[in-house]
Amino acid sequence: MSRMEKIRIDDLSFAYGKRTILNRVEARFMENTITAITGPSGQGKSSFLMVLNRLWETIPGAHVTGRVNIRFDGEFRDIHHRSMPLTRLRRTVGMVFQTPNPLPMSVAGNVAFPLKLAGTGKRKNTEERVEKALSRVHLWDEVKDRLKDDARKLSGGQQQRLCMARALVFEPEILLLDEPASSLDAKAAAGIEDLMLELKNTCTLIVVSHSMDQVRRTADRVLTLESGELHGCESS
Amino acid sequence: MKPFFFISAVISACVSVCIVLFMIILGLPLFREGLFFSMLTSPWNPSNGVFGLYPMIIGTLGISSLALVFGFPLSLGTAALISGLAPKPLAAVLRKTVQAMTGIPTVVYGFIGVFLLVPLIRNLAGEGSGMCILSSALLLSVLISPTMILTFSDTFDQVPVKTRMAATALGATPVQTFLWVVLPASKKGLVTGLILGMGRAMGDTLIALMISGNAIAVPDSLFSPARTLTAHIALVIASDFDSPEFKTLFACGLVLYGFTALSTLAVRAIDTVFRSES
Amino acid sequence: MSRRWIERGFTVFAFAAAGILMAVTMVLTGYLVMKGWNSLGLELVFGTTRPMDALCLRRPVLDGLFPAVAGTFALVALSVSIALPLGIGTGIFMSEFASGALKRMFSLFYDILAGSPSIVVGLFGFSISIFLHRYVSGQLYPCLLISALSLAFLVLPYLIRSTQTALENLPPEVRLTALALGASPVQNLFYVLIPRSLPGILSGVVLSIGRCAEDTAVIMLTGVAASAGLPRSVFGNYEALPFHIYTVSSQYMDSAELATGYGASILLFGVTSSLFLFSFIIKNIATARTAVSGPGL
Ligand SMILES: Nc1ncnc2c1ncn2[C@@H]1O[C@H](COP(=O)(O)OP(=O)(O)O)[C@@H](O)[C@H]1O
Ligand SMILES: [Mg+2]
Repeated sequence: MSRMEKIRIDDLSFAYGKRTILNRVEARFMENTITAITGPSGQGKSSFLMVLNRLWETIPGAHVTGRVNIRFDGEFRDIHHRSMPLTRLRRTVGMVFQTPNPLPMSVAGNVAFPLKLAGTGKRKNTEERVEKALSRVHLWDEVKDRLKDDARKLSGGQQQRLCMARALVFEPEILLLDEPASSLDAKAAAGIEDLMLELKNTCTLIVVSHSMDQVRRTADRVLTLESGELHGCESS
Repeated sequence: MKPFFFISAVISACVSVCIVLFMIILGLPLFREGLFFSMLTSPWNPSNGVFGLYPMIIGTLGISSLALVFGFPLSLGTAALISGLAPKPLAAVLRKTVQAMTGIPTVVYGFIGVFLLVPLIRNLAGEGSGMCILSSALLLSVLISPTMILTFSDTFDQVPVKTRMAATALGATPVQTFLWVVLPASKKGLVTGLILGMGRAMGDTLIALMISGNAIAVPDSLFSPARTLTAHIALVIASDFDSPEFKTLFACGLVLYGFTALSTLAVRAIDTVFRSES
Repeated sequence: MSRRWIERGFTVFAFAAAGILMAVTMVLTGYLVMKGWNSLGLELVFGTTRPMDALCLRRPVLDGLFPAVAGTFALVALSVSIALPLGIGTGIFMSEFASGALKRMFSLFYDILAGSPSIVVGLFGFSISIFLHRYVSGQLYPCLLISALSLAFLVLPYLIRSTQTALENLPPEVRLTALALGASPVQNLFYVLIPRSLPGILSGVVLSIGRCAEDTAVIMLTGVAASAGLPRSVFGNYEALPFHIYTVSSQYMDSAELATGYGASILLFGVTSSLFLFSFIIKNIATARTAVSGPGL
C-alpha cells in the first residue's frame, strides 16, 4: 500500500534556554501509520510532541528553529508560519498528555469543551458528538450515568480515556499520545492498543511509549530519541 | 523558648479581644441606657438631643458599595490581563505597577483628590463643593483595586499550568482559556477579593474624611456630601470628653468593628464551604 | 455565535479596564509630581536652617518638614521594635507549636485584627490613653508611645502572617533533614527553619515599616499634633509626615505652605512605595526559592 507523507520535519532544533533538547532533527511521518517514539526519560520525547502542535510556545524560555510541515487538504504548510491559524493547527493535531489532565468541569463538559471553543453545534448535536467520542474510547457505558459529575472524580484510567475522547471530538488528522498506557492497568492498556489500531484508519498517530510489547503490537515504525537525535528503524 | 512564643501569641490574641472589649466598656453607658440599638436607626439631631448614627452608616455603606461598583470591573479586567490574557512582558509590567500602587499612602490619595478630583466633580455637578460621595467613591475604587487585583490574580494563577495546557492543546485561545476554564474555577477568589475590597473601602478614613464633605445627612444623590463612620470618629474625637457626641464614638467603633469582623468571618466561611465542595 | 462576541467583548473590556486604571494612576501621580517637583530639595526638609545644624539639633527647623520627618522616623522605629518580637514570636508559635482548636481560635483573632480598620485600632489606642490617664497617672495623655503602641497593633497581623506562612511553606525535606541528624526542635528552628524562611519574614517586616510610615488615622487619634516640633520624649506630642499632608490640605494659609504639602506627599509616596516594592521583591525571591518549576506533564 502506498501512503502519503503527512508530516515533514527538517532541521528542527529545540531548546529550553541554553539547553538543547533536539538537535537538527530530520523526520517524515506517513499518513495512517503509528510511529512509536522510545528512549530514556528526560531526553525530550514529550517536548518533541509539544513542537508538533506549537504547545511549546506556552513554555517560558523554550525556543524552536527549523521547519515542521504538515499536509492540510493535500498541501504542505509550515506550522510556524504566520499564516497558520493556531486554532486550526491544534484542532487538526490532537494531543493526549502523559498524566490525565481533565479540566475542572463535568465529564460531558470536558468532552464538549472543544465544541464550545469552536462555537459550533446546537445542544442536541453536542450530546450526540459527546456520546460518540466517549463510545470510541469505550468509556460511554461506564460514565453515561455520571455525565454531570466532576471529571476529576473518575479513576485514573477513566480520566485518561476521557482525555482521549476529548481530543477525538474534532476528528483530528494527527494524534499525539504521550505514554498513553502509563497510568492504566493491563486490561485498560490493551483497550487503548485496540483503539490505536482503529484510529489508524483516520489518523496519523505518534505515540511515546516505554512498553516494548505495546510497541511491537501496534507500531509500524519505531524511532528512538537520544542525545537530541531521532534514530529510525522500520519494524514489523 | 516555647513559653516565649506562647506568651507572644497570647498577647497578640489579647490585643484583638481588647479592642472590642475596651469599646464595649467605654460605650457601656449607651448600652445601660438602652440607646445603642436605637442609635443605629435614628437620625443625627443634636438640638433634640438625638445622636443617631443612621446617616453615617448609610454614608459608609453607600460610599463603599459605590467604590466597589467602580472598582470591581477595573480589577477583574486588569487581573485577567495579568494572569493570562496579556502577553508576558505587558503582564509583568501591569503586575509591577499594581504592586507599586499598593504603596501609595491613603493620605496622598486624599491630598491629590482634594486638589484634582474635587474641582473636576464640582464642575461636572455644576453646584456644591465637589466634595461628595461620587468623588470619594471614585478615589476609593482606585485605592481598593490593587487589593482586589492581587487577590484575583493569585486565584487565577492557582489554576494549574497542566490544566491551562490541556485547554491550549485543544485549541483554546488565551481569552477562551480564561473565560471558560480559569474564571469558573475561581469563584471563591472572586468573592474573597470582593469582600476584602469592601472591607478596605469601609475601613478607610482619610479619603472619606478629606473629600466626602462630612455633612451629617443621608445622601440623596451621587453629588451629595456624606459622612462615614470612620470620618465621624476622626472628627468627634476632638470634642469635649463629656459631651453626648463623644459617647457616640464607641458606638461608631463597634459598628465598624462589627462590619469588618463579619466580613472576616464571611471570608473564612467561604473558605470552608469551597474546601468541603472540592 | 454569541460566545464569540462574549470572548471578543471580554478582551476589549479587560484592556479598557487596565487602560483606565493605569491612566488614572498615571494622572494622579503625574499631577502630584508636576505640582510638587519644584518644592523638592533640601530646603523642603530643612527650611532656612543649615542641614548640619538641624541634624545635630543645634538649631530648630521652623519652616521645613524636618520635625515631621523626625517624628515619622521615631514613630516607625518605636512601633516596629514593639511589634517585631511579638509578631515573629507569634508567627513561630502558630506554625511550629499551635494545633487544633487553639490554632483555629488564635488565627481567627489575628484575622479579625488584620481586618480591623486603622481608625478602630486608633480608637483602641485612644481608649488606652483614657484608661491610663484615669487610673495610672493624670499626667498621661495621647503621645508618641501610645501612637507607636497602636501602630504596632495595626501591623502585628502582617508580621504574624508573613512569619507563619514563610515557615509553613518550607518543603517537608528541609524540616526533616536537621532532625534526622539529631538536632533538637529548637536547634532545628534557629539553625534551619528561620534562616530558610528569612526572606518571607523580612518581606513582612518591610511591609510593616511602610504601613507604620503611611498610616494617618491611628496617629490622628493618639497624639500627633500639627506644630509640636521635634519629638522630645515618648510621652509628648510629635509631628508626622502623613498628618502634615492632611493638615495642609484642610487648612493651608498660603501657596508656600501648600507647596510643602505636595513636597511631603512626594516624599512619603517615595518612601512607602520603595518599601512596598522592596517587600514584593523579597517575597518574589522567597517564592521562587520554594516553587516547583516546569509544567510537569
Ligand atoms: N518547562 C521546562 N523548562 C525547562 N526544561 C524543561 C521543561 N520541561 C522539561 N524540561 C527538560 O527537558 C528535558 C526533556 O523533557 P521531556 O520532554 O519531558 O522528556 P521525556 O518526555 O523524554 O521524559 C528534561 O531533561 C527536562 O528536564
Ligand atoms: Mg515525557
